[in-house]
Amino acid sequence: MGIIFGKKKQVSRVTQQDKAILQLKQQRDKLKQYQKRIELSLTKDRELAKTLLNDGKKERAKLLLRKKRYQEQLLQKTDGQLENLERMAHDLEFAQIEIQVIDGLKHGNEALKKVNEVLNLEDIERILEETREGVEKQREIDALLSGALTEEDEEAVEAELQGIIEEALPQVPNEPVPVQEIEEPSLPEVPSSPVKEKAKEKRVREAVAMEA
Amino acid sequence: MSEEQYEWPWQYSFPPFFTLQPHAETRARQISVWRNLVLDYFRGTKQYTLDIREASRQSLFCNTAINRKLDTEFILAILSDLQRTQNAAPIDKQRHRWEIYWHTLEEWANMIYNYVSSSGATNSVLTLFELTQGDDVQSEEFCGLDTDVLIKVLRVLENERKCELMLFDDQQGVKFF
Repeated sequence: MGIIFGKKKQVSRVTQQDKAILQLKQQRDKLKQYQKRIELSLTKDRELAKTLLNDGKKERAKLLLRKKRYQEQLLQKTDGQLENLERMAHDLEFAQIEIQVIDGLKHGNEALKKVNEVLNLEDIERILEETREGVEKQREIDALLSGALTEEDEEAVEAELQGIIEEALPQVPNEPVPVQEIEEPSLPEVPSSPVKEKAKEKRVREAVAMEA
Repeated sequence: MSEEQYEWPWQYSFPPFFTLQPHAETRARQISVWRNLVLDYFRGTKQYTLDIREASRQSLFCNTAINRKLDTEFILAILSDLQRTQNAAPIDKQRHRWEIYWHTLEEWANMIYNYVSSSGATNSVLTLFELTQGDDVQSEEFCGLDTDVLIKVLRVLENERKCELMLFDDQQGVKFF
């Protein structure tokens, strides 16, 4: 058939669980409709009972109220059933989500495994080893290149370096510098006694502070 | 039905409005006003189907105040024009019964899909009943949508691979993706 009509029908994405959920929800809708019907009939019965009472038909009114009471009980029962149905539907939906989560984890795990396969330990060791070897080789080459100078050359280099340093430093005079008589700078007159006393006091205080 | 509260446009009390005009240009304008009136009336009264054989008795096509009504031919002309813009479609081959789409099927489809995706109901199963009558959709425009129309709308979405209808036995549901 698919060949004749060309277009192949796409695979249905509706699972068996979806059908079950639909059934549950359908049942829930029916219960809700049922409740609506009962509620309507309850209000109607109440009105009817009122008019019957007004007409003086007490017995019939009572009968009607009894029926109403019974329907109210039914309503309560359907509430319980409704809850059961909803819980069931939710459980199913949640289980589906859990399956999806596990699927996701599985895929992630597989991907991780594949990546790890690419990065095996021996390879890494080998690469690191090679890197180390490379570095060593480079160092040897460096040593070879810079080690091309002989011992003498080294000495000459040292000497030249010393020469440059000496040139750069200022010349130190050989003879001792004659000490010149330096005139004492003129100090201001020292004031008389009170300052001395103050100084003494200060010294005492300092002593105290030291003691403590 | 809120037929009494419906506010008629002034043309509704204008007798020539009810007679198909011979002049082509006038007729085109007349039909376009009728189109709008029909769509608006159906939206206002939340109706989805129309039977031409009974249409002449409906207050939409029959103004008793001025004693005027449309004949079947005229109604058919309006409906054909609506069909041209996908605002109406005949249900039977005799073109007696019609569905009126005051939103085109595509518009309905967008509206419903937006609602579903914004309420996070994608990837789950919904019954057609709760989609049009449920407590959650009472404030939505598609609340009370006719089931036959709804199925057509969902077929549009199904072609876009946004949902999959589940119709078997007496079960009517849809799974959105």
